[in-house]
Amino acid sequence: MTSTKLPISRRHFLQVGAGAITAAGMLGTTPLFASGTDVVKLQFMYPVGVSGDINRIVTGMINNFNASHEKVQVEPIYAGSYDNTEQKVMTSLGVGETPATWLPINSALQTFLGMDALADVTAMAKADDIYQDFLPGFLSICESEEKLYGLPFQCSTPVLYYNKDLFAKAGINKAPDTWTELMETAKALTIRNGADVSQWGLTFGGGWHDWIFESFVRQNALVPWQKDKVMFDAPEAIDALEFWVKMVKEGVMPSASTWQGSANDFMAGRTAMLYHSTGSLANLRKSSPFEVGVAFMPKNKTYGATIGGGPILMAKNQPDAHLQASWTFARWMTNTQNQTHWCKETGYIAARKSSWEGEELKAFANEVPAAKVALDQAAYAGAFLQVPGYHKVREYLKSALDRTLAGEIDPTSALKDATKQSNREIERLMRRRA
Amino acid sequence: MFVLKNFLMRFPFQNATKESLVAFAMLLPSLIFLTAFTYWPILRSLYFSFHDVMLGSDKIFFLGWENYERVLTDSLFWKSFRNTAFYTLITIPLAIVCALLLAVALDTKIRGVALYRSAFFYPVMIPSVAAGMVWVFLYAPGYGPINGMMDALGLPKLEWLYSSEWALPAIMVMSIWKYSGYFMLILLAALQLVPRDLYEAAKLDGVSTWHQLVHITVPLISPTIYFVVIIGILHSYQIFDYVFVMTQGGPADSTNVLTLYIYQNAFQYQDIGFASTVANMLLVFIGILIALIAATLGRRVHYLGR
Repeated sequence: MTSTKLPISRRHFLQVGAGAITAAGMLGTTPLFASGTDVVKLQFMYPVGVSGDINRIVTGMINNFNASHEKVQVEPIYAGSYDNTEQKVMTSLGVGETPATWLPINSALQTFLGMDALADVTAMAKADDIYQDFLPGFLSICESEEKLYGLPFQCSTPVLYYNKDLFAKAGINKAPDTWTELMETAKALTIRNGADVSQWGLTFGGGWHDWIFESFVRQNALVPWQKDKVMFDAPEAIDALEFWVKMVKEGVMPSASTWQGSANDFMAGRTAMLYHSTGSLANLRKSSPFEVGVAFMPKNKTYGATIGGGPILMAKNQPDAHLQASWTFARWMTNTQNQTHWCKETGYIAARKSSWEGEELKAFANEVPAAKVALDQAAYAGAFLQVPGYHKVREYLKSALDRTLAGEIDPTSALKDATKQSNREIERLMRRRA
Repeated sequence: MFVLKNFLMRFPFQNATKESLVAFAMLLPSLIFLTAFTYWPILRSLYFSFHDVMLGSDKIFFLGWENYERVLTDSLFWKSFRNTAFYTLITIPLAIVCALLLAVALDTKIRGVALYRSAFFYPVMIPSVAAGMVWVFLYAPGYGPINGMMDALGLPKLEWLYSSEWALPAIMVMSIWKYSGYFMLILLAALQLVPRDLYEAAKLDGVSTWHQLVHITVPLISPTIYFVVIIGILHSYQIFDYVFVMTQGGPADSTNVLTLYIYQNAFQYQDIGFASTVANMLLVFIGILIALIAATLGRRVHYLGR
């Protein structure tokens, strides 16, 4: 480990530690609505899903909101990871103390709809400029059967980050554009001393590798799910996993990694290329002691990407005045100005056309062309695994990928097994809903 | 109790009836708690395991054996089962050996022995979540002191909690550190009761310290060792906090254990029926394991004077 890694990791450690302590302290929740005053008090539960100082930025935004709104006060509740946040909301739904607004991964939409937890905000959106000004791809992640249930706030896709210094050292002057080039480039950048690898060619952000995997399947021109089933065992998906296995067997990519660990490895120069969320852009750029390149994920049959990150959803079970206030808050968090700042400070893709048309973001995109890569790639992006029972289905898929990459099972059997188990779970949930 | 007994004495019961009534009255408080928080939940989870039950929903559907069929064919269940078994089989014996050596070493009249005892017992007093966070720091690949030490000793630096090979062993090392002090205290209490004259006689006969340990100490505290083994197994099958704090079961489910898997199914996937099924399987496994130990180790226990 180089000394450059030290401050980054330490800061992250403290951040996570503080987060865990905050989360632990919040286990006794405060009551949902204040009574008897004109001020509407709302809770907003949110996760930090990427590497970087997101928590500070979100709290700052909410402080600004509270300062500029007399009648609405929002209490920010940092709830850990996406999984932690969604789980906290579900538990609070069970006991009837739901927060007014929360921020899950977009894939959880069907799960919350299945719990009858979401307010339909289509009418409010139509009375506003939502349908005109949001990028359609991003708005669609909050939609089910043509009804709108939230506003896209932190939109991301995986992108290919690469270390320009290591590229130059290996005499490579451009990022790979196809799977074949990806393999060749990764081979050229892998450095090993005997059995030890001191520098990997490529690392996928583990923990969300299922999200990255869906991008690969989309690059094979297939969306591997519909609203009531998954097709992880389709030839396009098996082909994608076989490609992954090949990279592991060639020794250019580790068979497993973690979300934060892979980002740390990239910043420390232990992997030359990294698939990670666009939301990590600002932090990777700031904390890496080298120039960070950003490119489209290489294509196979086509370019393809999966939208991660999430919408701000609003609870159905709340008085009208609160729903109105929740809308005001969600609307404010996603207004042109805030999306611009959010995009600049984090790397999440601004979801509004007007943000991208504004001078500020135009100037920023000129200065940091990387910021625009994600936007351009978003033209090939779609929602991530929006099926009932997403959490469990995801686990089945991840387990299939992990076991395959660890060499315990072959791609076809693993994906067949995951498909069977996932569809059984989806059927169970559909049966419940009927 | 005296008042209660007097009260019962006033009624013309048979003596035996009186006695059992007193016994029942004395058992009642703990019986209420056991029923409410142990037996009733076990029965409920048995009922749930044959149904489709979802967290936060009133609707329950009968499934028959479907949940059990799913559990048995679920690769993740078997993985967490293997992880739990591996954890137990390595952690508990090592922790007991460490604890026994510590206890014997601290059962002497050296100066400041109370201080040493407190020092070795100290890990037990640290809340497990806090201990977990501290070890996350110790194991950090970049700046963690453990990798610093490995480096200073010329050993390769490891990824520890970020590596699917080393994450579980890393948690096991920490658990041994945490369990040893606890076991040590129990064993130390038992050592105090071993008659000193046995050692004196052995010394006169020229028996070595090692043989004293194996032939006098261990047999005489075997009831306590047996107790520690059982407690240790129960503790280790319940391991949840360290895994939850340190790795959340990752990377690639390499540290997923049965209790965490139950938790994930119940609260992340809201599938109470399936979680109950896994919980019942866990209950059966522990039952079998304890029975096996009782039948083997339990038979060899030596009860002094009985």
